[in-house]
Amino acid sequence: MSGEDQLVDYREQTPEVKRYFENLHSREVVLKVGNLGKIFGEGVGATEALQDISFNVHHREFVSIVGPSGCGKSTLIRILAGLETSTSGSAMLDGEAIRGPGSGRGMVFQSYTLFPWLTVSGNVTFGPEMTGKSSEEVEAEAEKWLKMVGLADFKNHYPHQLSGGMKQRVGIARALANRPRILLMDEPFGALDAQTRALMQAYLLQIWRHVDVTILFITHDLDEAIYLSDRILVLEANPGRIEEFVEIPLERPRKPDQFLDPRFLAVRHRLDVLIHGEFPEEADELSFIGGVDRFAEVDAD
Amino acid sequence: MDWFAIGRELSPKARGIVTLCSFLLPLAVWSAFSYLPFLWHPLMEVTESGDSRYFRPGMTVEREAFYQENARLSSKGSAIVKGIPANPVYLPAPHEVGKAFYTAFVTEPRLPGDPWLHESLWHSIQVIFWGFLLSSIIGVPLGILCGAYSPIARLFEPFIDFVRYMPAPAFGALAVAIVGIYDGPKIAIIFIGTFFQQVLVVSNTTRGLDRALVEAAQTLGAGKFQLLTRVVLPGILPDLYRDLRILLGWAWTYLIVAELVGAKTGITAFIHQQSKYKVYENVYAAIIMIGIIGLFVDIVLGALGSRLFPWEKDSKPGILTSIAKALGFGKEASTA
Repeated sequence: MSGEDQLVDYREQTPEVKRYFENLHSREVVLKVGNLGKIFGEGVGATEALQDISFNVHHREFVSIVGPSGCGKSTLIRILAGLETSTSGSAMLDGEAIRGPGSGRGMVFQSYTLFPWLTVSGNVTFGPEMTGKSSEEVEAEAEKWLKMVGLADFKNHYPHQLSGGMKQRVGIARALANRPRILLMDEPFGALDAQTRALMQAYLLQIWRHVDVTILFITHDLDEAIYLSDRILVLEANPGRIEEFVEIPLERPRKPDQFLDPRFLAVRHRLDVLIHGEFPEEADELSFIGGVDRFAEVDAD
Repeated sequence: MDWFAIGRELSPKARGIVTLCSFLLPLAVWSAFSYLPFLWHPLMEVTESGDSRYFRPGMTVEREAFYQENARLSSKGSAIVKGIPANPVYLPAPHEVGKAFYTAFVTEPRLPGDPWLHESLWHSIQVIFWGFLLSSIIGVPLGILCGAYSPIARLFEPFIDFVRYMPAPAFGALAVAIVGIYDGPKIAIIFIGTFFQQVLVVSNTTRGLDRALVEAAQTLGAGKFQLLTRVVLPGILPDLYRDLRILLGWAWTYLIVAELVGAKTGITAFIHQQSKYKVYENVYAAIIMIGIIGLFVDIVLGALGSRLFPWEKDSKPGILTSIAKALGFGKEASTA
């Protein structure tokens, strides 16, 4: 099924989208990554996880990182969070080199990582308390954030009493309560069922519209990446390198019916090609049914 | 319902019944051996001595000797000895031990100046308390530091692991020489028996904390000290509490050895004395009492734990709750 001719060019942008990107690129650069590399281990056993990664993220931009498993996208975001160190190159937040974790970069994890001994409200106030704010100030803040994620009524619940989606909303509120410059999200909706995931995507877009924050988002769900992002950074694996930086030619605010937009499908097709390679020809696809001999031939490809 | 499905928990009622059986079964076996004359009963208790010159009423003798004597007497035409099957003195019947639970407390010590049973018990509890407390004051913080920081673990753990293999009672004589007589060496043995295990157990528990929680706290701006006090400590608290409950159980096993060091004291002294007097029902009562105190403390600590850590989901129901539920006292059973 190679319907390339029926697809519109994903690089073509309407004047409105073009203006949107011009405006976006004129904003200050929040995150500047330059020739970043990461090698795990030393000597013979060393593996290169990331190679020569360079990109900029502008203020209030929504950037997603996609790529096949093992492309180092999690390593990249962990380096940016300061949980891991790079072996070469640099990463700067607002012109300052990233050294270790800090409250300027909020992180949302796939596994929620809420503190089980704190209530919902306690989880949200954790960050501000660490940075030494007074407790009244912090309480009022927390209330605001919880209202934003729709969990004001659950502030005295413990994490184990919440559903996955609710937990992740607390995770987002907790990260935002620190007023970070950039929000790093590592497959935040990966553990959620499809329905909750769609809801959370809508939530996130809404939050992003109302909060002054830049978002760097990792996902393996390509539709999710297209639906949410301004730009998508496609990584290739072994070693993890930037393959392409795709600008999404869809207007904002995003709506679920855009999933059927031909431009959406064109981007989707482009991402599929980048990540999985060209779709095999029909004959080829059937070929490995033909037994061991044929199998070897496919393998040799 | 399949009772033997691997890893499947029973219904609350079934669970309670089985838990109850876990106590009733040994009691039933004990009762059977005590009350069924045809089971075991290797001795004969003489009730009437007849014409025997050796056997007196109340004596317990070997069956063989009893029958030989009777054969001898009957061959001479004399009145034979009468008796009933009996168990050795070291196996008292359940009701005798049950009675001893009361009488042991109200019986005056044979020697003036000897402690009463409740005094002995209280003494034992104090030795345990101080030994365990002193060990925990040093062992818990050290264990947490070992679990949190690799250099501290590398510095302390190998040596502690080495000392751990030395049996605590082996230090008895040393303890007396160093800490002197009275309770000092006894507390020292509880300390030695607990401390080294404690450090290793606590450090392992600390190491088991989900690293992702530490990372999350780091990205929220927590500093080194805050990570320790605001993440590691609350994060391991429920597990730490559970560890201490288990370690407290171990401390009781060291108590018996500790109380043998120097002058015998506490419940151990009572047990030894009573076995010397051959009042074995008191010996059993005392041993069971240790079990009951241990179980009671554990149940109280368990109940306290679920109050202290409301964020801990599905903690296992304690023994008493299970039994109560099975008997229909529990909330679940009454609503069902």
